[in-house]
Amino acid sequence: MAGRLAPFLAVPLAILVFLLPGWLGGVHGAFTVIAIMAIAAYGLDIVVSDLGEVSLAHTVFFAAGAYATGLLATRLGANGWLTLAGALAAGTLIALVLGLITLALREFVFSLVTYAATVVAAAVAHNWDVLGGSDGVSGIPTLDLPLGPLRLGATNDVQLWPFAFGLLLLTLYAVRQFRRSRLGAMAMMVHLNPRLATMSGIDVRRVRLGVFVLSAPFSAVAGWLYAYQRAYVGPDLFETYFLVLMLTAVVLVGRRRLLAPLIGTALIIGQERFLSFGGDINAIILGGALVLALAVLPGGLDGLFRRAFARTAQPAPHSDRRPVAQS
Amino acid sequence: MNLVQQLINGIVLGHGYALIAVGWTVLLGVARLVNFGHGQIYMLAAFVTWWAVAGLGLPYPVAILAAMLAGVLIGLLMQAAMLRLTFAQDLVSIMIVTLGFGHMMRGIAGLVFGGHPQVLETPLSYIDFEIAGAWVTAQDLAVVLVGIAAFALLHFGLERGTLGRTARMVAEDPKLAQLAGIDVKRVYFAVFAFEGAAVALAAAMVAPRTPILTSIGFEEVIVTFVVVVLGGIGSVAGSYAAGLGLGIFTALFGGFVSPAYATTAAFGVLIVVLVLRPSGLAMRAGGR
Repeated sequence: MAGRLAPFLAVPLAILVFLLPGWLGGVHGAFTVIAIMAIAAYGLDIVVSDLGEVSLAHTVFFAAGAYATGLLATRLGANGWLTLAGALAAGTLIALVLGLITLALREFVFSLVTYAATVVAAAVAHNWDVLGGSDGVSGIPTLDLPLGPLRLGATNDVQLWPFAFGLLLLTLYAVRQFRRSRLGAMAMMVHLNPRLATMSGIDVRRVRLGVFVLSAPFSAVAGWLYAYQRAYVGPDLFETYFLVLMLTAVVLVGRRRLLAPLIGTALIIGQERFLSFGGDINAIILGGALVLALAVLPGGLDGLFRRAFARTAQPAPHSDRRPVAQS
Repeated sequence: MNLVQQLINGIVLGHGYALIAVGWTVLLGVARLVNFGHGQIYMLAAFVTWWAVAGLGLPYPVAILAAMLAGVLIGLLMQAAMLRLTFAQDLVSIMIVTLGFGHMMRGIAGLVFGGHPQVLETPLSYIDFEIAGAWVTAQDLAVVLVGIAAFALLHFGLERGTLGRTARMVAEDPKLAQLAGIDVKRVYFAVFAFEGAAVALAAAMVAPRTPILTSIGFEEVIVTFVVVVLGGIGSVAGSYAAGLGLGIFTALFGGFVSPAYATTAAFGVLIVVLVLRPSGLAMRAGGR
């Protein structure tokens, strides 16, 4: 019911969100970071929600995008288009290699190996001079996207916000299209019933590899924008913070809901930016949210609301007007 | 001469590694559970030991007991929160939840113990003597002895005793075990309490060798993976051998090739093993 209305609601909602940081008194920085981390989380979301595997390597794709951007921009003076291509190539290539390595692995072992990959990548970033070692890459120039006679670019968060927002919309569209695509349907089948998938002639390994590799560019492109937003890239990108942030964003609200990772990211970063209690307590809140979401609320916040509504608002079908009404 | 020193370093390091992995050996090998907050329990226990010695002025052995008690408490709390997932044998969710716990513990440690690095001085670390031209401290010897003792106990308690048999039965088929009159919940709690106590003991023994920071623990988790997986899941003797081997490998690699990449190299080996022989880790053949 809400599915048919969604496209008409989406446009005013998008405009509203786009104008929101200005109305709230110029909080473009926080909104930009929310958009960036949400895009990164969507990469993980496809793998977790659709493929049913928990990848702990998506911080690597995110960092790969950021590092490629930082290195290309500072060492070669590359513009935004080149760094974008570099970030996408770096993330996708690493995902392809890792995907081929982990092709036969499932569930816990898959997660363990992807975690191992993250640890190895972190050690390499810390120690390899080409990547700037533990100092990282600093002094990244501002975003610059020459388009024929036009010179698009962003020198501060206010100017960066439209890019982040546009990229976020693009990501939402891509994820939605993915879930409606053949590959998306096959991924769900492989997830829910691998035997039936095999019997139906689906090449399970190919689907798994396809979805895994497809998920990487999302996280990598987020890294691309993050490098410009922070003007610095360093091995701190491999810290568990980003991993826990992405995982929490994906599981907090609910699985296979288009807006869930975005709302999850907004809740987490919103708390950190506007309701911060200092780094230590923020870490406790973030970790606690992850524990709660999985151990106490199996369906995430969405499941909680559904149960609450099912109990209290039984006779009122209009209670179904949540913005997350479509898949 | 240098080789002897590195070898002895490696043996000490290896016993430390094996000791750090004891909890996981039982957790994964016997109960088929995981704990990615392992490294953060190590970190918190190291801080508790330091605080008991430097802050409260307790003798070192009492501080070790205090740390182990803290480890038990953390283990019980974690298991209490995850009981539903444990019964469902939902390893992937358990993994993520324990990652969340690790993140929380890091915040708690920062809040309680602050962000400054601390050094734990034990009376044993002041005593040093020479073996075959290489210097070791009494603390190093204690690590080796406690390591050997822990594995001997584990071997007799787990592979010979009824305790191990009960835990194994629970892991194999929780429902059947329940029907057979075993209090499954208690076994799960006991296993997690043991995991907490074991890693806390390891922290109290090994942490005096390095500065104590809220960011430590990452490396310990890596080491644990390598030891438990390379040693063969659930094999007590295998874990001991893998810990020792990894310690000697790390010392030699660090001493003669590159100290920065020593654990990374070990982890590279782990990835190769996991990929070539995923069955070595098969929980239930092919997952679900």
